[in-house]
Amino acid sequence: MSPWSRLRIEPRDRALPPLFSLGLGVGLALLLGAAIFAGLGVNPLSAYAAMAAGAFGSGHALSEILVKATPLLLTGLAVALAARMLLWNVGCEGQLVMGGVFAAGCALFLLPPGAPPLPAASAALLCGALGGAAWALVPALLRAWGQVSEILTTLLLNYVAVILVEHLYYGPWRDPAGFGFPGTAELPAAAHLARLWPEALGRVHAGLPLALLLAPLLAFLLARTRWGFSVRVIGLSPGAARYARLNVPARTLAVLCCSGALAGLAGAGEVLGIHHRLQEGLAVGLGYDGIIVAWLARGNPLAAPLTALALGALFVGADQLQTNLGLPASIGQTLEAALLLGYLAGEFLARHRVAFGRAHVG
Amino acid sequence: MAANTNTIARGEPLLSCRGVCKRFGAVAANRDVDLDVWPGRVHALLGENGAGKSTLMSILAGRYRPDGGVIRVRGAPVAFASPAQARTAGIGMVHQRFMLIESMSVAENVRLAAPGARDADIAALGERYGLSVDPARLVADLSMGERQRVEIVKLLMRGADILIFDEPTSILAPAEVEALFSVLRRLKAEGRAIVLITHKLDEVLALADDISILRRGRVVAGCLTLDQAPGRRELARLMVGREVLLSVEKPPRDCGAEDETVLAAQGLSGLDASGRPAFADVDLAVRRGEIVAVIGVAGNGQDALARCLAGLGGGTAGSVAFAGHEGGRAMPAARWRGARGLSYVPEDRHGAGSVAAMSLAENALLTGQADERGGPLLDLARGAAIVERAVRDYRLKAESPQAPAGSLSGGNLQKLILARELAAEPALLLAEQPTQGLDLAAAEDVWQALLDLRSRAAVLLFTGDLKEALSLADRLAVIFRGRILDVIAADDPTAIERVGLLMAGVAAPATADGGRNGTGACA
Repeated sequence: MSPWSRLRIEPRDRALPPLFSLGLGVGLALLLGAAIFAGLGVNPLSAYAAMAAGAFGSGHALSEILVKATPLLLTGLAVALAARMLLWNVGCEGQLVMGGVFAAGCALFLLPPGAPPLPAASAALLCGALGGAAWALVPALLRAWGQVSEILTTLLLNYVAVILVEHLYYGPWRDPAGFGFPGTAELPAAAHLARLWPEALGRVHAGLPLALLLAPLLAFLLARTRWGFSVRVIGLSPGAARYARLNVPARTLAVLCCSGALAGLAGAGEVLGIHHRLQEGLAVGLGYDGIIVAWLARGNPLAAPLTALALGALFVGADQLQTNLGLPASIGQTLEAALLLGYLAGEFLARHRVAFGRAHVG
Repeated sequence: MAANTNTIARGEPLLSCRGVCKRFGAVAANRDVDLDVWPGRVHALLGENGAGKSTLMSILAGRYRPDGGVIRVRGAPVAFASPAQARTAGIGMVHQRFMLIESMSVAENVRLAAPGARDADIAALGERYGLSVDPARLVADLSMGERQRVEIVKLLMRGADILIFDEPTSILAPAEVEALFSVLRRLKAEGRAIVLITHKLDEVLALADDISILRRGRVVAGCLTLDQAPGRRELARLMVGREVLLSVEKPPRDCGAEDETVLAAQGLSGLDASGRPAFADVDLAVRRGEIVAVIGVAGNGQDALARCLAGLGGGTAGSVAFAGHEGGRAMPAARWRGARGLSYVPEDRHGAGSVAAMSLAENALLTGQADERGGPLLDLARGAAIVERAVRDYRLKAESPQAPAGSLSGGNLQKLILARELAAEPALLLAEQPTQGLDLAAAEDVWQALLDLRSRAAVLLFTGDLKEALSLADRLAVIFRGRILDVIAADDPTAIERVGLLMAGVAAPATADGGRNGTGACA
């Protein structure tokens, strides 16, 4: 009998505190990352030092962390909101893209020339949110009244959104004066999201305070309103929701569309605040990263800003690895995956203990 | 007359229990239980809910260890440390809830129990006993009756010769019941020993060779042979017993001008949660100032009836009228979705009546959310006030309104649910098995709360506990196989006996003062 046959996994009577799983997650991610660096022929210590220097070594780097964290926070909130009702919105990527499409469309074709900046940018942002919500509408309807898994439908619509946006900026929306470069014309300046303090904060735009405002707002909505209460009841106990006669289909529709709107805002912020046109580089996985932001925050909107910042720092630091040490660009995503796997292992070990030897009977 | 039947020569019992005891804390689930099961005979084990049948069978199946007594299999004493050891000894059990993996085929499920079984063997075995199920089919696609056959095939493939069936007919359609019976007869003819746990007398009389009756953990009648069995009435009486009444004071009913009907169901028929017909032609009226108990043995459609009357759907025919809703006019059952003034305490207090991960204050606000009135904000102060009132009035033991509901014991949780439903000042409270699983002190608090409410509202109590029904209710409606057999006034001196018989499905002759429209005495 091999010793493995005696490996036992038993539930713990009491789960260990959340900091355990977070700490273990970070620790495991560092270890896993070290193994990967070693495999690539780089000293793990110097790699981590390069990452830290890259992420925190300059004012520019710090501002870039905030730039990255802005859409991550919004998609993280989107995932966290849906997860409260046990809905898995893995379609933030597509909703983000459609948010960008609607925001750009609004800025290019709907805004009257000479519109003042604040209403113009607000209208474009709102259109972005609507775009994200619209992209979540079909999965929401199918889930609410057809019991079709939202995991599948939201995921598959991501690909449709990416193809659609490419079609737009390669085709009908391409800038005729763009020398054949794929992309729309630059959006009118009135629709741009204001940069907060360009000298010190670089590309950080008005989307960041908006996202930071939405996090506590969402927390309040869930904790203190009757609507949020019903959402939590449905997520925690379908039996209690039936007993309390809560309107589950209506909540499903609302929650998935709100989730889509948050992701749409993320896309609108990228287009209106950073790119200033619809072009390549919108669908870079920010929607999927939102899943990790939400998980690391344990679905808590108030913790999401912290996890979004952490992930942003990781991405900015990983960029340095590419330029300074010549490592592949995908190293950031690899480390991100290691972080999630480590966290999930930590979650599991917080609830279970692993032991060797015979189970005792009785 | 029933004494010493064990001496009748029929060889050695395959399975034999002597003096088996099992306690759970202060509760004695089995006390000095003797049971003998012979090869080629069906031994029916009768008893009400909570009589200790399931505990005894769990002991035989190796899931619990007895605190005392001896179990012998084929004459040799055994002490099972695990279900696996009981299986090795040849004991097989068909549970009420099947132990099948739905996403696997029949053959794969059988092979989990009996490794190496070939499809052809499974098919041949099924053919031989009338248990034919295609080995390649997915369990998820099978009917309940077919799934039960797979469970039996599993046992037979493993070579089990002591077969225990726990309420095997409760999930079957009538045609499937007949098929099961013929399977059981064939197994018996082959010399296997069968234990049939049931509370349905017809089945006992149709199948059993020996009969034992458990009541409150004890064998009150052991190993009667069928010809010694005292007839349905006496069996029912033995099963139910003559219970003493509870220790709560029921004040006389105050019938004045307020004698108005609060809830009236007419010709109500409906389905259970899985969509099967569960009750039919139910006429039931509850008036202000009275407690009406719907009483029956579990599985006779009362769950679905309670769900339907509470407005959670399931009604297909008939009508429901509720005072204060649409002017008290009767509305079609299919459209009945409850109303303001109707509060409901569900049987499943953990899975439906509360949310374990939420605070007590939030749980106190669970119902009434569908109501459009009230602002958009959650009134947590009101929730906390309800919790505090429950602490004061019902002796709810809780750390604070912010503690999670999952930290409460069953009795305290029930008090919280009651406090919440009573805070809505209902005209009718529908309470389903409100004291099930509670200790006596908690149960008494619940009974007192129901009696207090009776002075100003109507109470419809669904219970399987005859003692509870007789002590609290003014009228008892006995439900059997989805039909209300009779409505009996609680102060009828023959009520205990008649209700007990009706619960077992034995029709009693109507008495002059009782009958379907028993009204209960007024002060």
